[in-house]
Amino acid sequence: MPETAATVEFRGLRREFGPTVALDGLDLSARPGELLALLGPSGCGKTTALRMLAGFEHPDSGEVLVDGEDVTRVPAHRRDAGMVFQSYSLFPHLDTLDNVAFGLRMRKVRTAERRARAAELLDLVGLADKGGRFPHQLSGGQQQRVALARALALRPRVLLLDEPLSALDAKVRLSLREEIRRLQQELGITTLFVTHDQEEALSMADRVAVMHAGRLEQCAPPSELYGRPATPFVAEFVGTMSRIPGRLAQGTVDVLGQRLPVDGPVPSATEVDVLVRPEAVRVRAEADGKSRVVATSFLGAAVRVTVRLADGIEVKADLAAHEAAELTAGAVVSVSLPERPVLVAERTR
Amino acid sequence: MARLNLWRWGVLGLAGLYFLVPLAASVVFTVDVPGQGLTFDAYTQIFATDGFVSSLLLSLELALATIAVVLLLMVPAMVALRLGAPRLRPVVEVVCSLPLVVPPIAFVAGIGTVLKWGPDHLSRTPLFETFVAIQNPDFPFVLALAYVVMALPFVHRALDAGLRAVDVRTLVEAARSCGAGWPQALVQAVLSNLRGALLNASFLTLALVLGEFTVAQLLGFRPFAVWIVNVSGSQAQLSVAVSVLSLLVTWVLLLVLAGFGGRTRPTSRG
Amino acid sequence: MTATAVRVDTAPAARTKRRRRSLGWVAVLPLLAFVAVAFGLPAIAMLDGAFTAKDPATGATSYTLDNLTTSLKGAYLTALLGSVKLSAVSAALGTLVGLPLAQAVVSSRFRALREAVLTASGVLANFGGVPLAFAFVATLGNAGVLTRHFGLTDKGWDLYSFWGLVIVYLYFLIPLMVLTITPALDGLRVQWREAAQNNGATALQYWRFVALPVLLPTLLGGFVLLFGSAFAAYATAAAMVGSSIPLVTLQIADAISGNVLVGQENVALALSLDMVLVAGLVMAVYLPLQRRSARWLA
Repeated sequence: MPETAATVEFRGLRREFGPTVALDGLDLSARPGELLALLGPSGCGKTTALRMLAGFEHPDSGEVLVDGEDVTRVPAHRRDAGMVFQSYSLFPHLDTLDNVAFGLRMRKVRTAERRARAAELLDLVGLADKGGRFPHQLSGGQQQRVALARALALRPRVLLLDEPLSALDAKVRLSLREEIRRLQQELGITTLFVTHDQEEALSMADRVAVMHAGRLEQCAPPSELYGRPATPFVAEFVGTMSRIPGRLAQGTVDVLGQRLPVDGPVPSATEVDVLVRPEAVRVRAEADGKSRVVATSFLGAAVRVTVRLADGIEVKADLAAHEAAELTAGAVVSVSLPERPVLVAERTR
Repeated sequence: MARLNLWRWGVLGLAGLYFLVPLAASVVFTVDVPGQGLTFDAYTQIFATDGFVSSLLLSLELALATIAVVLLLMVPAMVALRLGAPRLRPVVEVVCSLPLVVPPIAFVAGIGTVLKWGPDHLSRTPLFETFVAIQNPDFPFVLALAYVVMALPFVHRALDAGLRAVDVRTLVEAARSCGAGWPQALVQAVLSNLRGALLNASFLTLALVLGEFTVAQLLGFRPFAVWIVNVSGSQAQLSVAVSVLSLLVTWVLLLVLAGFGGRTRPTSRG
Repeated sequence: MTATAVRVDTAPAARTKRRRRSLGWVAVLPLLAFVAVAFGLPAIAMLDGAFTAKDPATGATSYTLDNLTTSLKGAYLTALLGSVKLSAVSAALGTLVGLPLAQAVVSSRFRALREAVLTASGVLANFGGVPLAFAFVATLGNAGVLTRHFGLTDKGWDLYSFWGLVIVYLYFLIPLMVLTITPALDGLRVQWREAAQNNGATALQYWRFVALPVLLPTLLGGFVLLFGSAFAAYATAAAMVGSSIPLVTLQIADAISGNVLVGQENVALALSLDMVLVAGLVMAVYLPLQRRSARWLA
């Protein structure tokens, strides 16, 4: 395995496909040995960026650096980056062992040696006994494990995962998610992981890069991304967010009858929305409250309460089950926020 | 990238040359007759030539009969297989593939032998009349029978593809639940959805019958393809002209059909 | 879907099911009966005739293997081998040329080109026959346009030779190959090419180690299909009168029409049986290959 893990850097990547801009000046770097998730809605350019690192796409401008070395012009078959595809990427005419050993065969490694190495890798992904099986005899999860072993066979400096779990069913997805993470940490290999599933990104990655319309919105550890989203897009894409109308005044915002400091950039408009997570919203039953509970749904440890404010805006709040006991639909309540800086965004309505 | 394109256009160009030159040369052959210069006689004479109209009509009649019989046999069977007799499906598939294993020349050898049983063994039975009737040179129904057999693989494939694209069972059940009787449900719900496949099957059969030579010639009948060969000895230009025309007409018809089927194809591939 | 319906509502559903099954039989029966008569009778007649000998003096018939042995001797054997050789060579060439052509069509961005080529292939592959023969006679025959224009006869060209027939046969075999291989080429996944590249394979290595092995069953199946098609072809060869190449189809036709010797009908039937056996062999090789490639490329 790589003695020292590699760094990866995208510099000002730009790519247009006809009228659509897939990448609009992407700057992003991955630290040695970290698992960096590229998260975003479909069409945000995350897969394009990954494919540029693999050498399958070429930027109109900008460059891709691995360990500080410009690889933009290096052809795909000399990139030294192992890739796991979404699905169906195993060679159907080769058994599992030969699939894993394929890269070594291309490098003209002797048969005995490459078989031994492939068997070792299959063992690593927990399929030591499946070496003689063909892809169509394996389940989707097993196929992706083999694909992972194949991607690692040439001891690449970077591991690329292109939505490797999206074609699997929920249960397999969870276990494979943990396994990929375990393997990645064991090997200490720099890994880029493309996904549109925020839960997947937040639970696996060291850092998550949220992309939108070909640009990087924010790149931060999961907790920071959730707790201190840098932009309204990130705030609303990651986790649940409610928008409550407020009014800006000298660096503070008037909202729900409270005056709270503003966190992060302050928009130029005065009519703004305050962005709040459900767990930060307080709801109390109060006879002369101006809000009304519209719906409740039981989430296990918490209850998600949807409250309609006096001006018709709906806000979601997560309350502990015992707190929510009396809040049935129709209950009259008051809503408040904790005395903490809040994130504001320009009103879009 | 550029190298790849060059390679592709090279291949396509060479193939185009190989496939278009004989057609072009055939046209030249028919209009540029040695000693006569440029002449369109070969084309203007076609209708006046003895046997053209009658042989073409015979072929068209045979084609119609073949299409009618093959569809009457195949459509109910194929629909029924989808509706409620899945165990018969492999049987029908094998039966419809059998003609592929027997080349036309071998098939006609067998037919000829059967037809000889008529005079040899059956001359005193009413079956003999049937044997004579199906060999009536004005309308040799035996050819239609043979063509039905030869068309089975094509028709099976076309109908199977068409039926795969529609969920026959649900369609019929939906029509039945809307108050349609069985016949009505079948005709309206299924056949109207099969129009493309039926057209396709009919056309393939038409092309097969129009071009068929082996069986007709060896049984001694004279439909279109046999006529072309017979006339080629005395009028080479004319026979080539008719050949080119028939190829082009088939081609255009198939292209039109591809345009029709273009919309349904992606779903059937599905 | 049916299973649940049956469970929910057993009695009437079972009745419907039974009625459906009988309906299935009623609808399939005419087809089976027709094939039994129109195809079964000639087939039986062929089988019977191939093993029957008629004493010319007494008119008595007896079962014998003589016809079959005759069909594998002398001129008949030469014709059979001639057919096999012509079919094998043209099928091999058709496969070699058809693959790059299909790949060029599949990888093209122009949908219209693809549609046109596939439709044209459909026409040429199935309905060549007589028109095809005449097109080549007019082009490369003794009085053909190209022959005259380039003086090919002086250069030793002869359409009615082995290679002449190969060129004519390719005109319907290449399209047949294109039709056979196009779905398989469509089935080659982009991911395979990229995974191969990702594992250090050059474009050439991708074709050598991934694409060709994956296509191999289809290619072999296509070759076998082409062989069968060339082997069964009669109209093309017959329309090119003057061909000196011995072919089994021409021999059968001659024997049936009593052109060469009278009383050879039963040998014709034995030859037909030989052909059916070869064609059956072709199918027996083709179908398993087809199944394997369908599994890989589904």
